[in-house]
Amino acid sequence: MTSVPLVSVFSADDSTKVTAKHIPLPAVFQTPIRPDIVSFVHTNIAKNRRQAHAVNPQAGMQHSAESWGTGRAVARIPRVSGSGTHRSGQAAFGNQCRKGRMSLPIKVWRRWHRRVNIKQKRHAAASAVAATGIVPLVLARGHRISQVPQIPLVVEDKIESYEKTTDALNFLKRFGAFEDVQKVVSTKVVRAGISKQRGKKYRVRKGPLVVYFNENAKLLKAFRNVPGVEVVNVTRLNLLQLAPGGQLGRFVIWTQSAFAHLDKLFGTYRYASVLKDGYQLLRPLLTNPDLARIINSNQVQEKVQPAKTTTVLHEVQKKNPLRNTKAMDRLNPYARKQRAAAIAAIKANTKGTKKIKKNKALKKASRAAFNKVSAALNDATNAAVQEEQDIKVKYFSVQKGAAQAE
Amino acid sequence: MSQKKPQMQVEQKVPENIVKKTARDTKLREAVAKRRTDRLAANKTRRAQWEKNAQAYQNEYQAADKSLVDNIRKAKTEGGFYVPAEARLILVVRIRGINTLNPQVRQTLRLLKLRQLHNAAFVRVNKATIEMIRKVEPYVTYGYPSRAVIKNLIYKRGYAKINGQRIPITNNNVIEQQLGKVGIHSIEDLIHEIVTVGAHFKEANRFLWAFKLRGPRGGFIAKRRSFINQGDWGNREDLINDLVKRMI
Repeated sequence: MTSVPLVSVFSADDSTKVTAKHIPLPAVFQTPIRPDIVSFVHTNIAKNRRQAHAVNPQAGMQHSAESWGTGRAVARIPRVSGSGTHRSGQAAFGNQCRKGRMSLPIKVWRRWHRRVNIKQKRHAAASAVAATGIVPLVLARGHRISQVPQIPLVVEDKIESYEKTTDALNFLKRFGAFEDVQKVVSTKVVRAGISKQRGKKYRVRKGPLVVYFNENAKLLKAFRNVPGVEVVNVTRLNLLQLAPGGQLGRFVIWTQSAFAHLDKLFGTYRYASVLKDGYQLLRPLLTNPDLARIINSNQVQEKVQPAKTTTVLHEVQKKNPLRNTKAMDRLNPYARKQRAAAIAAIKANTKGTKKIKKNKALKKASRAAFNKVSAALNDATNAAVQEEQDIKVKYFSVQKGAAQAE
Repeated sequence: MSQKKPQMQVEQKVPENIVKKTARDTKLREAVAKRRTDRLAANKTRRAQWEKNAQAYQNEYQAADKSLVDNIRKAKTEGGFYVPAEARLILVVRIRGINTLNPQVRQTLRLLKLRQLHNAAFVRVNKATIEMIRKVEPYVTYGYPSRAVIKNLIYKRGYAKINGQRIPITNNNVIEQQLGKVGIHSIEDLIHEIVTVGAHFKEANRFLWAFKLRGPRGGFIAKRRSFINQGDWGNREDLINDLVKRMI
């Protein structure tokens, strides 16, 4: 139901009756929604209603206070002169002092107002008007529009001649706008803070905005006392009303002539505005915003590369293959057989290697050679030992002989 | 909104982009499924090849062991001696930390991939590498690794350098991707290449990140002395295996 290019005009007395069918939507409703422009313009424009204020320039300075200087075991801040009262000798003038003047006292020549480029203001207004025709934005802003037959709601000019508030109320009820009014009533709260003592006792929400065209319309008085409802002439559309708080999507009720006047006010994409000199509506970045259709079109899909497949090269956790049979099998499928053979060999009580064909001849020959060498060694050792024994025997016998001789 | 009044009559037709998208999606899905079946079939043949290679290597190793024993016995019978070939592969382990290092020593250790204490790396033996190791001798211990130690190092502490990242060797795809073009497809191929210092030892060794070992259980003897002087640094030939087994 958003951005309907054709709009019906409803009868003021009966919300089911349509007095004019298929009125084309003014081009303003097709302008791009630019929340950045709107919030920039809003923050600046909102400052323009401010009234200058300032602190008394003499506040906190009406003393002949002087610093006592150093050497008196007190801080060097200026102190009130004189005696005979508590106040004398107390600190004065500084922003940190009690009863002192504030730092950087507010002056009336503070720059209260902001100027905004006309084009920016116009673009913001156009964007805000466009947003009033988009249901999700109006809902998001918090308006209760579930019973409203159409957004944008365009009603015949009859309401411009309403004089009684009852007529206004009944009209709102007929078109499901009363729920929004009820929201305003039920959420009226006493404001927090000192402003309540300064004439702003209540915080009241915004309800519907009624936009009319004829200057001598009486509906202002009829709608004036309905809480939350604002009435404005279409030639004086105010961004502060169309996007309160910088939030797009005010619930707007247009009269037929006001609605028709929008094309003259803002112009279309075919011709510039008549009433705003030289103003041309902002053009959108995308002429075709249907991204799904663009992406899935043949032209794009032909050029598109195949989707990258994420192939994980290695397992997330490294397991020790020497202890983990699954990890080992992944790396070396032969290991399983080796292990099975080893276990079988152990069970068969043989050495754990494959039966090697032994070169028996060679083994025998080398064994023989070894035996020969060891035998030779043995003989040599025995011979040496025997020789030593002989020498010893000879020596002792010689000794014995000598002893015997003596 | 109540009183919904359709301004335009819309036929109940499936939007064009949805039709296109479903057609495209089914085609993609089929392609993915086919890729999967192809991959699974290829994996089966690959695994068979890995097994075959591993078995061939086992036979080769056993034959090498046997021939060594035979040669020794033969030499004994002839009354001579069998001198096996000098080692072609060295395992170098860094045993000194990073502080107060001579810049040349620092640089040489980096070239040997030994950037950290207890890092180990394989090094091919040639004049150039011998000179390099001589330069850093007091900071490393090295020797000739046995097949079992090489195997355990690569299985337990094996990480690959892929795109400058340290990737664990958890499956043979890691190896296949980097070394497939030089004929090393599985971990047993890699181990064989390292053990035999084959034609593509350079690629295989470069593929391996330095082994980050723990400190030896039971400790060093004395890192301030050379191995010959009842210490730790320098060449300890085959006894490197005992040390590294305590460090794996």
